[in-house]
Amino acid sequence: MKMIRAFIRPEKEQEVVLALEGSGFPSLTKMPVFGRGKQKGLQVGPVHYDELPKTLIMMVVDDKDVAKVIGIINDKARTGFIGDGKIFTSPVDGVYTVRTGEAAL
Amino acid sequence: MKEITAIIRRDKLHETKKVLDELGYPSVSIQSVDGRGKQRGAVCDNDLDPELPDKYCTSVKLTPTPSTYALEHTLPKVALFVPKRMLTMVVPDDVVSKLVKSIIKVNRTGKTGDGKIFISPVESALRVRTGEKDGEAIA
Repeated sequence: MKMIRAFIRPEKEQEVVLALEGSGFPSLTKMPVFGRGKQKGLQVGPVHYDELPKTLIMMVVDDKDVAKVIGIINDKARTGFIGDGKIFTSPVDGVYTVRTGEAAL
Repeated sequence: MKEITAIIRRDKLHETKKVLDELGYPSVSIQSVDGRGKQRGAVCDNDLDPELPDKYCTSVKLTPTPSTYALEHTLPKVALFVPKRMLTMVVPDDVVSKLVKSIIKVNRTGKTGDGKIFISPVESALRVRTGEKDGEAIA
């Protein structure tokens, strides 16, 4: 199992979620976050925005699906401009479903 | 060291914290998140989460008239989410199964929407105040 954390533009969230749902990955958790990247925020005229709003999408998927899920997110969240976000993958040792108490997704 | 990430119902947060307290692992980070599972965010029964606002209740079916049909088929499709609480805690390896069992015991209602628990490895920890590392930092 792998946990995928994707930081994407808030306005692209629905598009990404619906695309994931269409490919059979409906389960995810999202939360609003603020962050900055290499560009240290955004400069609009005299105003400097240090931290920009992003949506963090968190999902745990089987190892074999990781590349597919990342591909979908990458495809839908890309605009080609700075601030499109990052995707991180990390290992998950165990998964439990609370309703059944079983160690399965 | 392992990180336990538990996504649970909002109304079970208090009980869960109490149980973690009793087990001697009260340290936890709590975050409000929105989630969806296999049911795609559908909430069909109000007793799933009594605090849920009406807009999250998808059980209300419009009576099929020409205008509601038009409404359903012209509005863009929206992905639904259910508000949840996410608990994150870093604990020593040997207590992981004990804590997971307790969290499941407290949060289990048998209905969909009970949540998920994820266990991931953590390489190191540091307590900022004292500079203690790893095991001492989370003790």
